[in-house]
Amino acid sequence: MFQLYEKIPYLLARQPNALKQTIQTIAARNYTNTVPNRILEKARRSKLGAAAKGPSVGSDERPKLEQAEYSQAERDYKYIYPDFLPNPVYYFRDKIREKLERIDMINRRKQITIPEFYVGSIMAVTVSDPYAPGKSNRFVGICIRRDEYGLKHSFTLRNVIDGLGVEIMYDLYNPTIRSIEVLKLEKRLDDNLSYLQDSPPEYSTIPFDFEPVKLLPGMKVPVNMTKVPLKNKPWRHAWDRKALRGVILPEIKRYQHEEYMNSSSDFKPYEKWDLMKNYRETIHDDDHREIVQDIKKFESEITDKQEIVTAAKKLVRTRHIPKETPSNEKK
Amino acid sequence: MLKLNIQSARAILSSLTHANVVKTGLVNDTNLVTSYYLTNKLDTQSHNFSINYQQVAYYRRNNFTRPFNWVKRRGGGYDENINTDNKEFLNQVLLDKYSESPLKEAPWKKGEYNANSINKRLGLLGIKLGSIPQWTKDGKKIHTTLIQVLDNHVIDYIPPEVLIERNNIYNSNAKRTKNGNLGMAIVGAISSDPRNYTPQYLDIFKNAGVPPKRKLTKFMVSQNAVVQPGTPLYAAHFRVGDYIDVGSHTIGFGFQGVMKRWGFKGGPRSHGSTKFHRKRGTIGSGRDRRPIKGMKMAGRMGSKWRQLMGLKIWRINNKYNILYIHGPVIPGPTHSYVRITDSCLPKNRERFTAESHPPFPTYYPDQNQAIAEEFFDEELHKYTDPTITFETFEVKKITKRDGAKIARIKS
Repeated sequence: MFQLYEKIPYLLARQPNALKQTIQTIAARNYTNTVPNRILEKARRSKLGAAAKGPSVGSDERPKLEQAEYSQAERDYKYIYPDFLPNPVYYFRDKIREKLERIDMINRRKQITIPEFYVGSIMAVTVSDPYAPGKSNRFVGICIRRDEYGLKHSFTLRNVIDGLGVEIMYDLYNPTIRSIEVLKLEKRLDDNLSYLQDSPPEYSTIPFDFEPVKLLPGMKVPVNMTKVPLKNKPWRHAWDRKALRGVILPEIKRYQHEEYMNSSSDFKPYEKWDLMKNYRETIHDDDHREIVQDIKKFESEITDKQEIVTAAKKLVRTRHIPKETPSNEKK
Repeated sequence: MLKLNIQSARAILSSLTHANVVKTGLVNDTNLVTSYYLTNKLDTQSHNFSINYQQVAYYRRNNFTRPFNWVKRRGGGYDENINTDNKEFLNQVLLDKYSESPLKEAPWKKGEYNANSINKRLGLLGIKLGSIPQWTKDGKKIHTTLIQVLDNHVIDYIPPEVLIERNNIYNSNAKRTKNGNLGMAIVGAISSDPRNYTPQYLDIFKNAGVPPKRKLTKFMVSQNAVVQPGTPLYAAHFRVGDYIDVGSHTIGFGFQGVMKRWGFKGGPRSHGSTKFHRKRGTIGSGRDRRPIKGMKMAGRMGSKWRQLMGLKIWRINNKYNILYIHGPVIPGPTHSYVRITDSCLPKNRERFTAESHPPFPTYYPDQNQAIAEEFFDEELHKYTDPTITFETFEVKKITKRDGAKIARIKS
């Protein structure tokens, strides 16, 4: 990593437009016919607006937010319920829409138990399907991805069946989903395991009669440290350009590789030190506070009924994936 | 085009007495309307304003010239060095002024739905909030956009007789009309601090008795659907399951090249091409020695008026005044103004009968009877309902024929 840090001025000199483009794309949009976000929030709360309130309810009282500091359990909500986080892009955000979405999500969560899961954990999903025999369909696989925010949140499962790779994308809040089971709760080294498409099939084959693995309370959520070898090219995407940790790349000639890395636009190791980019792409604690209150209220109503939630509460989440231990073979 | 000086045009408009209007005989049972115009409107010049409406039809923005009776909107302001005590006092005065009922007169007679004639209602001026998915009871996924109706009021009504006279002054000979049945109603959204506006702009809201609005639109309205200025409008103006038309500006991208604006291919990156990477080829020239009109070239992209028709309303939230409208592609960025009307398509109009039609002329809230917080369409899945399951049914087996098929001969 230290070598990369030295390379930053070199990379920036090669790609001076990388930062400019992100700024230009935002600046190029002309928001002529819009209300600024600040003024809209003011207008919703102002006493001058008599008709701002709807006819059904008298007043829209804002919830009083607790100013106390977060406990560790409340901080973990970001990792247990990542679907509750709103889209951090500021020009897509709206407070009332997020609130209405949250109400729908909680109402759906009262109907079925949606357990805690991560990218890399092995899951089984049963869906009611009008064309399947018995009107239901069960699928088992590894969770590869988790996408989108709010009600749009989705996850994909991957499995290899009869030598053929199968991926199914499920909307988390689709009312046709009957049950979601987590057979083995674990994390992987990366947040996106799409590279399993270009790896040998034994890394993504899971039998349909996979027996569920139980975790003891007080345990950390385990991290699976396996590294996946990739096949030779051609690939679906240029995996070597992305800073992946759980991948063993095939041998490439050194001069080819360096040229490739420097010329590519996807390879941006310097973004780790871009503080403003991190700030833009994450939700701040103060912004997260209203969400935490809603989740707390939901959990207090439902903990007696659902065993899975109570069991998951006692687990300990590791926020940072541990670094690789130096192997003894080199010595 | 009839050209007039500013002074002469104003003189003509002010000379339009209400007696002329009454002589035409078009005004029948709206005596209250006439009295309203006798007392208030035509004496003042506030009738003749023209300001930045929310756009109704497409026009070229580059050649836009302001009409002579343009009212400057922003301006005024107040002393910034004022005391904090005095500031609070002024705020309190404002609240007291606008806390009274805005209706100055006795309520006008509410029109009734007439199955035989035109029934054209008001529309609303909403704000786009973004899109979320919903599911039907069949398990199908729908994308809906949320539109909030924030603080809408009726601000003015101009009867058709006055409109005709106005058009004859401003418009060309071809556009002039002598008889029309539709009046013009003006609706505003988002009330704001009156100290930030000019007195000319505040005159518009004097008769309605509401604080000045950030945005205004105009709707053409039939005479039985007239609403008194000062009445608030809600999202319950529409019914669940009906269809609407939606119009707003698209996202503006500024001056863009030909590849982004029209999707041209451009030139090669290498292989000896110089200064030809993102350009178009020839623009061509025929015998006329000029490029053909409408040639696709670089220029301003977006921020144009676009309209979508026949979108279904799936769900209505009465607490926050929000409409859930079919489709993720309503033009404009989030928090852009959106103009909503009843759909003019026959599939919407044929639904209405004398017994079942949307609230006419608008929805008036009843204090004794509170309505439900949310309305759902019949086909839409509620999230409080249990999961969707499909019933099993047995397929009948085809029975085999016992013997050979023998033709029978009729005797």
